[in-house]
Amino acid sequence: MAAEESLQVQPLPLMQRLTQEHTRVFFFSLGKLGRNPVGTLLTALVIGVALALPAGMHVLTQNLSKISYSWQDSLQLSLFLKDSVSTERGAALAREIRGRPGVQATRYISREQSLAEFRSQSGFGDALDVLQDNPLPAVIAVTPERGRNKLQVEVLLGELTRLPEVDLAKLDQKWLERLYAILGIIDRAVFIVGLLLGIAVVVTVGNTIRLDIEARREEISVMKLIGAPDSFIRRPFLYTGFWYGLAGSVFALVLVLAGTLALSGPSETLASLYDSSFTLSGLSFGSSLLLLLTGIVLGWIGAWITVWRHLADIQPQ
Amino acid sequence: MTDIIHFNQVGYRYPGGKDVLSDVTFSLGRGEMAFVTGSSGAGKTTLLRLVGLLCKPTRGQVMVDDVNLASLKNGDIAPFRQRIGMVFQNFNLLYDRTVFDNVALPLVIRGFAYSDVQRRVRAALDAVGLLNREKSSPLTLSGGEQQRVGIARAIVSKPALILADEPTGNLDPEMSKEVMKLFERFNQVGVSVLIATHALHLIVHMPHRIIHLDGGKITARRPRTPVLSDLPPFPGEDSRGR
Repeated sequence: MAAEESLQVQPLPLMQRLTQEHTRVFFFSLGKLGRNPVGTLLTALVIGVALALPAGMHVLTQNLSKISYSWQDSLQLSLFLKDSVSTERGAALAREIRGRPGVQATRYISREQSLAEFRSQSGFGDALDVLQDNPLPAVIAVTPERGRNKLQVEVLLGELTRLPEVDLAKLDQKWLERLYAILGIIDRAVFIVGLLLGIAVVVTVGNTIRLDIEARREEISVMKLIGAPDSFIRRPFLYTGFWYGLAGSVFALVLVLAGTLALSGPSETLASLYDSSFTLSGLSFGSSLLLLLTGIVLGWIGAWITVWRHLADIQPQ
Repeated sequence: MTDIIHFNQVGYRYPGGKDVLSDVTFSLGRGEMAFVTGSSGAGKTTLLRLVGLLCKPTRGQVMVDDVNLASLKNGDIAPFRQRIGMVFQNFNLLYDRTVFDNVALPLVIRGFAYSDVQRRVRAALDAVGLLNREKSSPLTLSGGEQQRVGIARAIVSKPALILADEPTGNLDPEMSKEVMKLFERFNQVGVSVLIATHALHLIVHMPHRIIHLDGGKITARRPRTPVLSDLPPFPGEDSRGR
């Protein structure tokens, strides 16, 4: 009779079996976490804070990059003309340069205008009276086209330097390079902090899963006794890691969003003081997705390592 | 009758310890029911553990359902255990799940469709008289009822072999008789049953083979007898059959 029925009723085909089993464990693990809401929320919060720190730093560097990019747009080349170049020739040269590819605008500043500007802005007006000649050269301020990268601007600088009327050409971007260097350091710091906090997430999830395994030691032993393969026993724990990672990364998204909202007002006030229309940006859709994915993967890895380490220790008695 | 279990000069020694089993040779035929008796420490549980692959023999060969257990790799152990129904003295139930979920577990592990799981679990619970308790927690059941849940879980996947280690150890005499009758019922439909017990008084009047262990060795055997009055006396049995 047993044989007859076993012919009639067979386990499902592999794909159907996996679908049914994963669906079951998906909801089973979620329900198990839901039955311990405080513990689950605390763990997710810890993971959320750990993920929010590098994510927040990433938002900071993104915004600094945005500011520095707008500053790069305002870069100017200064062409100091030889004293022998007349005012007319200087003005004509400025028009010629404006017609070159890669140049957005030029402004000719004659020697007299330079002196007047220096006199009004430097506070050394009286000292200039002592000088017999105007020591300041005429200058053509060249604004490169928007979006030109550093190399292209340097090529333009080289071309303009070779003009016979030009005594000296200068691209004052040291301060920008320093800013980029600082941003580079911050970027690296974000990576290191992210790596360390990623490890912290793996350890946090791993430790929580370890406690769960300990609490369910007897259950695991019974399951092994009745023929549950390791994959069957492992699955709920991996899904638990998945849920912790997902919940933690959602928390992190909320924390970063809250931080961005809290800082957007003051940052806009500061920007307006510099006549800037800068607005603080939060995480982009892509970055948000990446954060969610990172949380899930880290949670899963933490669960996997722990289950792999501890499951073999539990043998049925 | 082909054998479902065959022990050939099997020995088992705890790592760095004494011999628990020595030169044990016996067979259990397909569809046969037999008892392994002996006092505590005689090796009954170890013998069953060897069949269930909960430990491996240090000597000799164990064949179960035509499989040489020594040839099984780690990944084959779980599928092998799915072919055996196991019943334990301490029931080994999951107390955070319902009776239904406990009985359903072997079928869920094997990947049966939910409709089949429901049908077979209810059939198994019906067979042990607990159909009306399927939604209960095992914690609300008596010891006898919990053992019947354990038996339902063992038979639900319709194994060819049931191993029971002191299944009546935690039960009162009446419930113990009921449990033994259950095993006999399953045996009558072709399931092989091997039960380790020290409750000789429960089994001496049953017409099944008895293998008696003492100090890890088989010291007595009583053959299967179809007629109760033909039962020969057995070591340990007193004048009242206890």
